[in-house]
Amino acid sequence: MSRDARIGETLLSVEKVSLAFGGVKALQDVSFDVREHEVRAIIGPNGAGKSSMLNVINGVYHPQQGTIRLRANGAWKAFHDMDSHEAASMGIARTFQNIALFRGMTVLDNVMTGRNLKMRSSFIEQAVWVGRARREELEHRRAVEEIIDFMEIQHIRKTPVGRLPYGLQKRVELARALAAEPRLLLLDEPMAGMNLEEKQDMCRFILDVNDHYGTTIVLIEHDMGVVMDISDRVVVLDYGRKIGDGTPDEVRGSQAVIDAYLGVAH
Amino acid sequence: MLYREAGQFKSTYAADQQIFPILQDRVGIALLLAVAFVVVPLVSNEYWLSAIFTPLLIFSLASLGLNILTGYAGLLSLGTAAFMAVGAFMAYNFVLRMPWLGILPSFVLAGVCASAVGIVFGLPSLRIKGFYLAVATLACQFFVLWAIQRVGWFTNYSPTGVITAQNVEILGYEFESPSSKYLLTLAIVVVMALLAKNLMRSETGRAFMAVRDMDVAASVIGIPIMKTKLLAFAISSFYCGVAGALFAYTYLGTVEPEAFTLDLSFRILFMIIIGGVGSILGSFLGAAFITLLPIFLNRLYGLISHALQVDISHAIVSNIELMIFGGLIIFFLIVEPHGLARLWQITKEKLRLWPFPH
Amino acid sequence: MAVSFFFEVLIGGLLAGVMYSLVALGFVLIYKASGVFNFAQGAMVFLAALTFVSLLERGINFWLALAIALAVMVVLGVAIERVVLRPLVNQPPITLFMATIGLTFVVEGLSQLVWGSQPHGLDLGIDDVPMQWLLDKANINISQFDLFASGIAAVLVAALALFFQYTRVGRALRAVADDHQAALAVGIPLKHIWAIVWAVAGFVALVAGLMWGSRNGVQYSLTFIALKALPVLILGGFESIPGAIIGGLIVGASEKLAEVYLGPMVGGGIESWFAYVIALLFLLVRPQGLFGEKIIDRV
Repeated sequence: MSRDARIGETLLSVEKVSLAFGGVKALQDVSFDVREHEVRAIIGPNGAGKSSMLNVINGVYHPQQGTIRLRANGAWKAFHDMDSHEAASMGIARTFQNIALFRGMTVLDNVMTGRNLKMRSSFIEQAVWVGRARREELEHRRAVEEIIDFMEIQHIRKTPVGRLPYGLQKRVELARALAAEPRLLLLDEPMAGMNLEEKQDMCRFILDVNDHYGTTIVLIEHDMGVVMDISDRVVVLDYGRKIGDGTPDEVRGSQAVIDAYLGVAH
Repeated sequence: MLYREAGQFKSTYAADQQIFPILQDRVGIALLLAVAFVVVPLVSNEYWLSAIFTPLLIFSLASLGLNILTGYAGLLSLGTAAFMAVGAFMAYNFVLRMPWLGILPSFVLAGVCASAVGIVFGLPSLRIKGFYLAVATLACQFFVLWAIQRVGWFTNYSPTGVITAQNVEILGYEFESPSSKYLLTLAIVVVMALLAKNLMRSETGRAFMAVRDMDVAASVIGIPIMKTKLLAFAISSFYCGVAGALFAYTYLGTVEPEAFTLDLSFRILFMIIIGGVGSILGSFLGAAFITLLPIFLNRLYGLISHALQVDISHAIVSNIELMIFGGLIIFFLIVEPHGLARLWQITKEKLRLWPFPH
Repeated sequence: MAVSFFFEVLIGGLLAGVMYSLVALGFVLIYKASGVFNFAQGAMVFLAALTFVSLLERGINFWLALAIALAVMVVLGVAIERVVLRPLVNQPPITLFMATIGLTFVVEGLSQLVWGSQPHGLDLGIDDVPMQWLLDKANINISQFDLFASGIAAVLVAALALFFQYTRVGRALRAVADDHQAALAVGIPLKHIWAIVWAVAGFVALVAGLMWGSRNGVQYSLTFIALKALPVLILGGFESIPGAIIGGLIVGASEKLAEVYLGPMVGGGIESWFAYVIALLFLLVRPQGLFGEKIIDRV
């Protein structure tokens, strides 16, 4: 099935979101939507508010104005003030610009933490290690091992993440996000600091995730080549405002976008 | 050569999840337990059993409790002694006022009371981090001690504040001799250590470590920070509470609130620093180290004193001991911040290669 | 009658608070410059006082003894920086904190090993008697000694504030407190700075030791004054010199007032925990203290 044929209805709708930190306006009246199964890129010069946008979507920051609408079980839920825990339970997972892995734990444990919302046993059951606790742990271990295979990190599963090189850490972070079986995956500069080969690998993984699991992906990325290649649609932000929204070709040709990147005063 | 893992492949996840996946480790632990349960009581004299091994086990349990809170969950606590005090005095009151409960259930309930206190004084951890939290636990330490001293009910209105632990009797059998008390303590400690190990390698343990390493990220992936931190306090205080109860019942016999000062809290903190923060094994190693060190030093002084024909005063000895403790803490923090447990791991890794150099 | 008693207790508390501030100042200095919470400050106070007193008792002149004690503190400070802090320079703050706990024991043991463990009295020439004219005029009982201590503290604070604000070394210290790497990048000799800071902290410890020693006698328990400084630091913030003073005043006053007015209702002895509970409640409302800076967690 071609990529376009798979893309479904709107999954997420960002409506007139404004976010300010004291006097600094990070986002001003930004609206766009994300369709199910698509790969949506958010691009823009540095400081445009891209990370803030992701943080608003998954509840780390609360916008002063605007609404985030998420389709869940056929119905729409509106959020002005979602907290990150809620976002996680609604199937939103993300990775971070500066890797947010748990340094004291192994790769396997880190990815297992991604399953925490699916674990039901109480601490007493876990202490005694019988019945439900035991079954759950092994079941989730199985699921996690599949993701580890998928992300090709089997050889480092028992290594503490603090010891891994940057590129592998990014992969582990992606694995942890996948472990939650999210509907919406937010990736904050997943390829920052990588060389060409690592970028190609990461691109492959992202596309595989989209193909294989059907996960909707919103990603922030600076590498234009990557963005043009793998995304279905693009949102362009500059100084907190949306200045472009469409397919990669449409956006590439837009004068406003070109001006923003070339630094033309406006 | 002895320690090769070669040939020990795991073909199920269950096998991989075992506490001791390597055969040699399993054999080692079985031997250790056999020695602890059988050989030690047969071979040791009463002094060693009642004054050294029993308190060593009790401190291991308290260290375990502190390690769960500070090592795994990253919440620094200076109130360990206070939780032990709650355990000791509540156990006393349960046995005194509800003797039909039995000793073991009384210990468990005493632990639960300590948990309750732990949760109350753990509430600030939801807003406060790092040293500030240590100050909150100091408040707990001082307040609890004051409360036990002032509120007569805890000590059954004893004029001196001293309580005498009742006899330990389970199902009609009286635990009177040092070796029976030692075995009871050993059994309780082994069971609780097993429970702790299971807990720390399942989701609860991972949640603790996640909150320790980066709580913002933990919350983003769905881990409930508040519940996790409070659970850490609850479980940790439970362990310290039971340790406190054992402290009164199988070790000292008579206890007063002044036995649970800040000094004791620091001692237990030292045990986990030296033994290994965030490690179950480390709690045992640290407790053993700190308990056995003064004895070793005393023997050493005796030798030196004898050899040099010089009489070293007690005051000098105790001051040197203080300096050595402090010095060791600093030494371990510089050289091996993960303590004896890590040194043990490194030894095992070297053993894998022995007798080859690399 | 009751009003003047209230003032007596209040002022007594404020002045006691000043004494706490003196100890807290040492913490603030070191924390400001190296980000380390020096738990051993109390032990340093103890060592300073003990050295001074022991020298005095051996017949050494007051000012010479003072100078020698100061020299000892400076040497200790430099030694600590070199032996303990430098090897741990990249470790997380909690490790450094635990190292200073270990340091406390080392300094305590050392102090008593060298000078013995008996308590000493310390007479600075100012008696702990009420100000006579105040007692006569307004029936308020305030100790001369307490006022003297406050005066000393005020002078010390003013001197430190001027030092930090207007001298080159002071500016360098502030730069180091803010960002070690950046300070190195502009050529500030980090290690010299730290040595200076610890020396100054040693000096502050000496002053605090003298004050506390005269009031309570120089003995082992002096080490635990450091613990009382913690609530002071929480209220005032760990990095603020004026904060240490104000925090001290608040802690001293509220402790005394609580003990006198609330104490009898619950059997007394509140002083052992009241300050901590106040600090705790305060933290719940404002986790960064009165003067501290808000910590923003960036992801």
